[in-house]
Amino acid sequence: MSEIQKKKPSVISDVRYACAVGATNTVVAIKGAVPIANCSPGCQLKTTAMLTFENGFQGSIAAGGGNMPSSNATENDVVFGGIKTLDNLIKSSLKIYDGDLFVVLTGCTGELIGDNVPDLVGKYQKAGYPIVYANTAGFKGNNLYGHEVVVDAIIDQFVGDYSGEKKKGLINLWFETPYYNQNWRGDYQELARILRGAGFDVNVLFGPENPGVEAWKRIPQAQFNLVVSPWVGVKNAEHLQKKYDQPYLHIPEIPVGEEATTKFIRQVVEYAGIDKKQSEEFIKQEASIYYYYLEHFSEFFAEYWYGMPSEFVVTADAAYALAYSKFLADQIGLIPKRVIITDNTPAKFRPAITEYFKNNISEGVSIDVDFEEDGYEVEKLIESVEFTAGKPLILGTSWELTLANKKGALFFEISTPSSETLIVNRSHIGYKGALQFLERIYSASVGGK
Amino acid sequence: MANRINLNMTTVENRELRLGTIIGWDGSAKELIEQSAYDERSIKKHGGCKGAGQGCRLCELQSPLNQETMCSNAIVQCQIGNLTDCVLINHAPIGCSSEDAKFNLTMHMGLARRGKPQQNTLNISTNLQEKDMVFGGAAKLRQAIRIAKERYNPKAIFIAMACATAITGEDIDSVAEEMEPEVGVPIIPLHCEGFRSKHWSTGFDVAFHGVLRQIVEKHPKKKQKDLINIIALWGTDWFTDLLKPLGLRVNYLLDCASFEEIRQASEAVATTTFCETLGGYMGAALEDQFGVPQIDAPQPYGIKGTDAWLRAVAKVVGKEKEVEEYIESEHKRIAPKLEEYREYFKGKYGMVLTGSAYAHGLISVLAELGIKNEAALVFHHDPVYDGAGKNQDTLKELVETYGDIPHYTVSKTRAFQLPQLLKRVKTDFLIIRHPGLASVAGHLGVPTFALGDEHIPIGYDGILRVGEILKGVLARTKFNKTLQRHVRLPYNDWWFSQTDPFKLTNDKDVFKDIEEKLGE
Repeated sequence: MSEIQKKKPSVISDVRYACAVGATNTVVAIKGAVPIANCSPGCQLKTTAMLTFENGFQGSIAAGGGNMPSSNATENDVVFGGIKTLDNLIKSSLKIYDGDLFVVLTGCTGELIGDNVPDLVGKYQKAGYPIVYANTAGFKGNNLYGHEVVVDAIIDQFVGDYSGEKKKGLINLWFETPYYNQNWRGDYQELARILRGAGFDVNVLFGPENPGVEAWKRIPQAQFNLVVSPWVGVKNAEHLQKKYDQPYLHIPEIPVGEEATTKFIRQVVEYAGIDKKQSEEFIKQEASIYYYYLEHFSEFFAEYWYGMPSEFVVTADAAYALAYSKFLADQIGLIPKRVIITDNTPAKFRPAITEYFKNNISEGVSIDVDFEEDGYEVEKLIESVEFTAGKPLILGTSWELTLANKKGALFFEISTPSSETLIVNRSHIGYKGALQFLERIYSASVGGK
Repeated sequence: MANRINLNMTTVENRELRLGTIIGWDGSAKELIEQSAYDERSIKKHGGCKGAGQGCRLCELQSPLNQETMCSNAIVQCQIGNLTDCVLINHAPIGCSSEDAKFNLTMHMGLARRGKPQQNTLNISTNLQEKDMVFGGAAKLRQAIRIAKERYNPKAIFIAMACATAITGEDIDSVAEEMEPEVGVPIIPLHCEGFRSKHWSTGFDVAFHGVLRQIVEKHPKKKQKDLINIIALWGTDWFTDLLKPLGLRVNYLLDCASFEEIRQASEAVATTTFCETLGGYMGAALEDQFGVPQIDAPQPYGIKGTDAWLRAVAKVVGKEKEVEEYIESEHKRIAPKLEEYREYFKGKYGMVLTGSAYAHGLISVLAELGIKNEAALVFHHDPVYDGAGKNQDTLKELVETYGDIPHYTVSKTRAFQLPQLLKRVKTDFLIIRHPGLASVAGHLGVPTFALGDEHIPIGYDGILRVGEILKGVLARTKFNKTLQRHVRLPYNDWWFSQTDPFKLTNDKDVFKDIEEKLGE
């Protein structure tokens, strides 16, 4: 590494996340919620292009994408203030959208010119409109940061106070940042399915199984908050603990495959203290189906004599880098050569993640994980890997395509951005998703590739 | 002749000031032509006397509701960010770079279409944080410039301004000037912050302005008599097919171009474009300040437009005789297939939703195919272009050749108006060239053609190419009908019951109920 590189500030090439105001997509993931983007023109098109389009072309829905209200600040707003423009935008949005909740997200421009958005939104709140505001300037953090800000804003300004009973067996599921991982919708469904199967009443706050804003009103009634991610959502769970005296269970590892998922279910059931009969019955059923398929797969795995990958590299956000590495290294026996985490994981969570990769992935496997957001450095890290067995496998983003071709590697996208993949409904986690993950990896190996 | 373009400053006067661009209007195309007074504005652009008219401001409909849209910074990314051997530094928080992956895909597509080797875009974000908003980001920018040089060894380094850095007053001009001797390549500041102009197309002008000032050869030692500049995006190289019979080679600017291809623009024999909205600024500047004439002709769409355009090009290279033979043989060549398509599309109605001059070209092509256009939506209207050539009034050319468009709407990416726009005319399909609208329109039971390769409709073969694609598009109506039966847009019944797309603008009492509730 040269002197300039060593002293480099936090510049980034080949960006792998959007900024905080991209958390408009967190709002889109709630049925009946309408984001109101208080930002410059371009902000929403750019962040949405990355999160919903160049990300498995997963698309948007309802008041997302082209339907999203946006103040599109002009020079006039910057000079004279943008409150009037935002006021008109809010009025128009209330007038023509079918919305149960409106969330105003302010970006760099509004924050820098110092518009008093809380005051303006407060006027609507007092009149009884379901509307909240969130400070999501792009210079404050990325879309994962913005997601947590929006969640807290909805809890504080829309869900409000609660002093009633908690319901045993009801859990709030805090999981992926919507529209960030390409499989988030399918993964939410699989995780909810597993938890329901184990006997829980699952309060799904985002995605295809979110019933609407009423789920958010139910948050305070839950027995506890379940956070399934190395770090995203922990801040919200801590907030809920303070606000509603509601405990949380933090499981950093998204379970992939039978063994991990079964362990996951037992951990949650144990924590909740609910009856184990249903969960054990569910595990038995799921495991039997899982191994029914895995045994079939094992024929290919044993007999395919045209070669298959043995070593892999992963570059992704913390959650999926961890989940996928663990499954591949521990359950399949692929050798991890390098793992690069690119989501700007907050410093306080890094030691635990580093430790996990060192000692917790699988017996006899220890990885020195890299945290790097700059795509140029990510590429250098991958380029320097010496693959020694079979065809290399690179799991990454579309930025790695050219490099993968150069290395003659099998390549597919698991992280943002993804331009080589179209996703409608897919999951690589839990019981069902893990088998789909195997299909995807080994489809990349078969048939004369 | 007056200098239509001022290259002395690093900044570009935005389109609303320079051209009188508007982004809200609703009426017939004929009315807009009258109100635009292109000829008077054209005379003024060419230094004519004040008596020729001031080119007064067009009436513009303001909308209280706007939606997801593009900005000038994004346009600069899609232009400068797609050069093969220059780096674009976005001096901004990270979100301003979040479309980079999309432009990377676009560049890969463009390189493939032009037969150039694949490569990723050369991009850097200074990734500014909250503390940089307070203390300034100049140090980071200097480092980013050094890193750009070390990483990519580029021929030039561009710096894009963003909203945040414009508000905090980053002096990118000074940093560029100061750093140039150190890194030894041109460093080019681009003032393309998103709020600067109400329309993103100002970003095209900013990109061209930067290369005109600092890359295009000011004193060309030679002329390349067979080289013609085509101001383009990433389109397939069909201009070569079109111009080869006239003995011309094409020099595409700016997407997928190299530093050298930009530098040699002043050595070319002429400049032309697929879209006056895009190419006007560069064409006018090359003509005024580098002596490279622009082709003063209708755009190369439809039979009449392509004929006229080819004749104008031929005149510049002295091939007037050859071009007549060429035109005649082309007419003959496409006639049987064109007849077939005209039969196929009989009774069909289309609607174009794109930038303005490009829309005029596309509608011509649809008209040639026998498809009726009762409505069109353009994202902006420029009453005059920078080139301001006598024969470049694209809207007038369209209406005079193919007839009026009764519902001609100017509105910048306001998807919420689509139900009303589609309600008032018959439409069998839409052609859309902008993200965010096609999927919304697709919910309304109408198939959409997202036109990505902008060169598809050019020239004689362009008419046939569009016809071929539209057959497939019309078949997709099935999908859109299914979607329409089961999925609803996020707007309420009241809005769906409206007929005026500008209801929120035209009805001054429209917010009365809300204001009463607020006690206003």
